[in-house]
Amino acid sequence: MMLEEITSSRLGEKCYKYTHSSGVTVCLCPMESYSTVNAQFAVKFGSEDCSYRINDGETISIPDGTAHYLEHKLFESPEKDAFALFAETGASCNAVTSYDSTCYYFTCADNFEKNLEILLDFVQHPHFTPENVEKERGIISQEITMYLDNPSWRVLMELLKGVYRENPIKTDIAGSVESIAEITDKILYDVYDAFYAPSNMYISIAGNFDIDKAIEVCERFLKKRQPVKVESIAPVEPYEVVCHRTEMKMPVAKPQFAAGFKRPDANGQESLDEYIYLNMIMDIIFGDTSEFFVRMRDSGAINDAFKVTVFSGRGYTLPFVNGESDDPDAVLEEMKKEIRKFKEKLPDKGLFERIKKMNYGYVVRGYNNTESVSQYMLDMALLGVSPYAMAESVADATYEEMCRRLMSIDEENSCISIIYPI
Amino acid sequence: MRYKNILHNYEGCIKIYERKQIGSGIWFSKVTDHRFKVNRIAVLIYTDINDSSLSRSDYAVVPYILVDSCEKYPDYSALSLRFSELYGATLSDNTSFDGDSRCSSLTVTSIDDRFALEGESVEQESCELLLECLLHPLTENGVFSERTTKLMQAELLDSIDSVINDKRSYASHRGAELAYEGEPWQYSIQGTRPEAEKITAQSAYEAYRKMLKNGRIEIMAVGCSDFVKTEETLTEAFSQLERGEIFEPSVTPSVLKSELCSFTETMSMQQAIVRMYFKAPDMSDRYAGALLSTILGGMTTSRFFMNIREKQSLCYYCSCFSNRFKRTITAYAGVEAQNVQKTMDAVLAEFNDVCENGVSEDELARAKLEIINNAKSVYDSVHAIASWYVSQLMDERVLTIEEYIAEVEKVTPERIQAACRQYKPDTFYTLTPEVENDA
Repeated sequence: MMLEEITSSRLGEKCYKYTHSSGVTVCLCPMESYSTVNAQFAVKFGSEDCSYRINDGETISIPDGTAHYLEHKLFESPEKDAFALFAETGASCNAVTSYDSTCYYFTCADNFEKNLEILLDFVQHPHFTPENVEKERGIISQEITMYLDNPSWRVLMELLKGVYRENPIKTDIAGSVESIAEITDKILYDVYDAFYAPSNMYISIAGNFDIDKAIEVCERFLKKRQPVKVESIAPVEPYEVVCHRTEMKMPVAKPQFAAGFKRPDANGQESLDEYIYLNMIMDIIFGDTSEFFVRMRDSGAINDAFKVTVFSGRGYTLPFVNGESDDPDAVLEEMKKEIRKFKEKLPDKGLFERIKKMNYGYVVRGYNNTESVSQYMLDMALLGVSPYAMAESVADATYEEMCRRLMSIDEENSCISIIYPI
Repeated sequence: MRYKNILHNYEGCIKIYERKQIGSGIWFSKVTDHRFKVNRIAVLIYTDINDSSLSRSDYAVVPYILVDSCEKYPDYSALSLRFSELYGATLSDNTSFDGDSRCSSLTVTSIDDRFALEGESVEQESCELLLECLLHPLTENGVFSERTTKLMQAELLDSIDSVINDKRSYASHRGAELAYEGEPWQYSIQGTRPEAEKITAQSAYEAYRKMLKNGRIEIMAVGCSDFVKTEETLTEAFSQLERGEIFEPSVTPSVLKSELCSFTETMSMQQAIVRMYFKAPDMSDRYAGALLSTILGGMTTSRFFMNIREKQSLCYYCSCFSNRFKRTITAYAGVEAQNVQKTMDAVLAEFNDVCENGVSEDELARAKLEIINNAKSVYDSVHAIASWYVSQLMDERVLTIEEYIAEVEKVTPERIQAACRQYKPDTFYTLTPEVENDA
């Protein structure tokens, strides 16, 4: 076993990484004198992985929401389920399914080794039966229904549908009440066998723990499996958005909107660079400090709900804004004008440096507690880059590269999703 | 007891909590912990919610105005740029209930000087900027700037109106109106739309002056700094304030209604939301109350989670939380409209079962572990440490986390059962989809 020490002199941080003989990537960051430990066990399998091939065989398509359904069911066991086992140690545990991964995690103040054993054990021992899969359907249906009443979620979902024609992120992570009706125990076992392969899995641990003991538990609990060649089939996404505008009605006080500017797919370091530079560009043009924000807010066109975000993951990067306005279409037109203005006259270097400092500060603040350190390590591992790549890339960002990416924004290749009051 | 100098000296990783008076009704507390990479300084001002000379909205708009601009940085753009230069230091504002009082706060969070790329004194400059905003707002003719007031009034109105956007928040808001009828919590801390529409630069400025003159001021600094310079700066700045009679924050338990209040309203939505308020105004065992709430609906092996979600598949969430000051437990769930009654019956059945049969040693042990794990986690976040101490400002004695854990450990199943018997149903509120869904 080769334990690699990785340091960041800039952050004063150090962590370790190795690949377990099974193929699992393990990232460890002991944080002396902290009280808690956060451990995450993730698989590179999310809701966007809805078509796949095994050993170059036929394409298999699975119902929307399968990754999320599997996440719910993995806690189940023929004996005590994982929740009950964690309850005996006092750890708080949960899981989250995103578009490109599924992550199971716990945070504890005591009994770290025991908790790590439980985590590694339950994620590697699925127990799906027709009965327990059926039982979950009502619970997940209610989860899906809950989000249908959430305008902030709906406006984003409608935006994704308007931007992406083929990319599976156009579909809700949890699927729909109709799609999950098709999910069976067999489907769950099939996708588990395909995607929950050790070489597709990642462990990230940060906090107050003994590194040797953590490695010892990994050695004891991580199972080797016959390698399977699994290929998640990512459809080719056309350049253009599906539509420029979508609208619906819900009980809201003021029209809600989300507007995004479509970008080409990106992966690895390029995906990280896109994320970092687009964040800076969005901050420069539309952020709290921008002329645009102040002008629009002062005129009453937008309010403090206006936020800029870069939505990013495996195979997608979408800079977007969301907010409230009596006339969202006019806001989008102003945004397009603003992008054109900056493309004609690039922002000055001083502004870029201020925004860069701000973004660097946000990253430093992330290295402040066990959960976020663990999350950073995991996110970077899933991207296939160094654990400190985020901080280093922000600190090393250049004005010239920011300008290059700003010039590449196609303000007309955009979509706005609006929810009007009933 | 509450207003005395305190020193909690911990062994090991952190942590010295120091609290001392730095002015009339002005207290400075700090926790220094070198593990952190940030410093967080919060100024909390407690004022009388029942002040009839000004509206709740007059007070609520003040923090909005203070974080928008100040004399030195007279518009939002200039102020934001200054914060961005300080490595994205953030200045946040909040107005909330704390007990039966209003707590208005400004909080600045910044990275520690060690991480500044160009050796700037980020902590000190952030603290000074906080003081600029708090003590030197932009004024015209002796009151807040008319333009800023109008802008922030519009923001407050949008915020008041937006409660309808999030159905769970709306249900919480409407449930509180019924559960706390006749009490300070009945109405939103932000006030009502008619109140907010009447805000003027003059009325908001009056509220601001009262906050600084009569409010109890608590400053809470947590981070890796020793905050020596910060304390000096704050002491000097606050010594310039003209202080009058200082408001004394307090809290009383919520009154139990003589009859259960049950209310249902409809909205165009998909899922019904249930909120059930239980009250025990004479309950004095805060530790048993917290554990009872955890056993019923505060963990993934709680009775609500296991019996209502997992066994009956009625909902995705069904939980509860307790308020030790108001002596309430609030259960809430999102369910299909046809299952509302079934869910309410199931919640009541769990309460009744604990009253009649008590709780097992096992479930009590699990609840204790849950609470203890959460309490120990407090040490690892500047925000959680600040909240830990701020939440005890109205207590007779400020507990360390270890002291709190020791009290939790002592609770017996008998104390849980006795606590449960004191809680009575007070208000059941349901927000349910209109008969014909507008999907």
